[in-house]
Amino acid sequence: MWRFIAYQQLYEEIGRIAMHQSGLARKTLLLFSAGAATLLAIVVLTLLLVSTFRASTETVGQEREVRKSAADIRLALTDAESAQRGFILTKRAPYLEPYTDAHRRVGEAIAKLRATLDDAGADERSAIDTVDKLAQAKLAELDETLQLAKAGDFGAAAAIVNSDRGKLLMEDARAQLTGLIDRSERVVVDNIAASDQAGDRLVWVSTIGGLAILAFAMLATSIVADNTRGLRAARNEVENLNRSLEERVQERTADLRRSNEEIQRFAYVVSHDLRAPLVNVMGFTSELETAAATLAKYFSSADASPDLAAAAHASATLDIPESVGFIRSSTTKMDGLIAAILKLSREGRRELARERVPLADLVAANISALAHQIETSGAEIELPDEMPSVVGDRTALSQIFGNILDNAVKYLDPKRPGKIRITSEEAGGRVRVRIADNGRGIENKDVERVFELFRRAGPQDRPGDGVGLAHVRALVRRMGGDVTLKSQYGQGTTFEVDLPKKAVTKPKEEKI
Amino acid sequence: MSPMDAAHPVSIVMVEDDDGHARLIERNIRRAGVNNHIDRFANGNAALDHLLGSDRSGSSNAGRAMLVLLDLNLPDMRGVDILAEIKSNPHLRRVPVVILTTTDDEREIERCYDLGANVYITKPVNYDSFAAAIQQLGLFVSVMQVPAAD
Repeated sequence: MWRFIAYQQLYEEIGRIAMHQSGLARKTLLLFSAGAATLLAIVVLTLLLVSTFRASTETVGQEREVRKSAADIRLALTDAESAQRGFILTKRAPYLEPYTDAHRRVGEAIAKLRATLDDAGADERSAIDTVDKLAQAKLAELDETLQLAKAGDFGAAAAIVNSDRGKLLMEDARAQLTGLIDRSERVVVDNIAASDQAGDRLVWVSTIGGLAILAFAMLATSIVADNTRGLRAARNEVENLNRSLEERVQERTADLRRSNEEIQRFAYVVSHDLRAPLVNVMGFTSELETAAATLAKYFSSADASPDLAAAAHASATLDIPESVGFIRSSTTKMDGLIAAILKLSREGRRELARERVPLADLVAANISALAHQIETSGAEIELPDEMPSVVGDRTALSQIFGNILDNAVKYLDPKRPGKIRITSEEAGGRVRVRIADNGRGIENKDVERVFELFRRAGPQDRPGDGVGLAHVRALVRRMGGDVTLKSQYGQGTTFEVDLPKKAVTKPKEEKI
Repeated sequence: MSPMDAAHPVSIVMVEDDDGHARLIERNIRRAGVNNHIDRFANGNAALDHLLGSDRSGSSNAGRAMLVLLDLNLPDMRGVDILAEIKSNPHLRRVPVVILTTTDDEREIERCYDLGANVYITKPVNYDSFAAAIQQLGLFVSVMQVPAAD
């Protein structure tokens, strides 16, 4: 089960890494798309803004032409009028020359203006038409006065001038042209503002776009770094899990080997110990048959010999009661063995509790339970000032210390006053309790034997079934500890119970 | 007259903790016609006291001819330890030791022969076989030569 859990952890970890990887792919794709979209937006916006800029520049150039042409028309008309005034005033031919030139310039400028504003709006076209009409009318008035003047009729010419018709036409034309120039001025100002705005926008788009791409790049870098970190952590975790898995496999293998050896030893002991009384039962049953046959022979023979009579008598009075006695004692012994095995098996299956047990109280209770034996033997018990507490099963702990103390009292040496000394220490999450006696001791070769089921050591002068220490060892090991002993034969024995501060919860065992 | 009844009457030392087994072994040895004296001990310490003497030197038995029937599972000590004591004792090392036990563990058998056991017999559970084995052992004992302890 534990192994299954460890593998499951490993699988979960690998699953997490895989999910992490697919998440990374999704995130990376998303970032890439976002970056590409931003770049595209920047390009499109830039193109739009550049074309706006170019259109504005074109318009500004065109409007300059409009203004120049309008100014040219105004200047040419003024020149033509000046030349006309000059000729009428001076009556001298050289003044006619600039007039002809100005007349031509007016025509050229109007044609140019019309070409420039060819694709402009209807307002502009009608403005040009008005200007054209006014200019033609003005030129016609000038031509008329000059025709009269050339013919020598200066008075008539002056009269036309005096009529203010030309002046009014000139003012109208000038107003129209000024209007055109003003409008053009406005358009130029507007366009310059528009291209300024476009320029500003271009700067903003470039800046924001650049920052966005930078941000995406940083985000991507941080995701990749994050992922690398995550991967490294995950790999370390997998390695750690793997390592601890191996450690646990080894630990558990050692445990299994030990408990396997214990099972073999147990099976061996049980089969041997059960076989011994069985041999008796079968043997004395046969002996019973033999005795019964002797009796039958004696009773069926008409005149039995004295030997047969003696044998029959012996069978009836000695052999049969002896055989029955052995059969009875052997079956009783088998029953006892089976009961002990069942008790151990039940104890082994019992779920161990985990509760805080102060060892001082527990040992004190054990000692008071042995008060009678201790008093009888006159033993002295020395307890430490304080003892640690452990987390474990109270009943099991009571059985462990009760059994060891009972043995210590039971096997004291009558030759000297009994002394039992209990000490304890706590270190590194483990608690060690030593129970030292000055009793008869255990021979070196029997140190392991005393822990074996149904085995005892030394003189068999005290009652016992050989179960106690086997049970103690099984219980201590189930709680994750161990019990050992050191002994000097004839001087005393020291048991050491080594327990984890917090008992492990091992799966219950199917045996002792 | 069997050789065992010759100059040195051989006494049989039976180390067997089970009273029933001891009785059955004795009966079947007698049935084989062996009438030698049998000393039976129910635990290892008593047996060693007898074999090696209370000083455990073994000198107390010098000059006596003995044959040991040894059970390996004793309440107070291991039979192999008694075997080792006998075979390492200068006075008793030539005493024939017959291991008569319920154990048929191969390692145990090897260990006993390594320590100098002369015969190893597993007690059969089936009584007919058990009786036959002991009676054959009795017949074997009745013809074998046993040296006196030094």
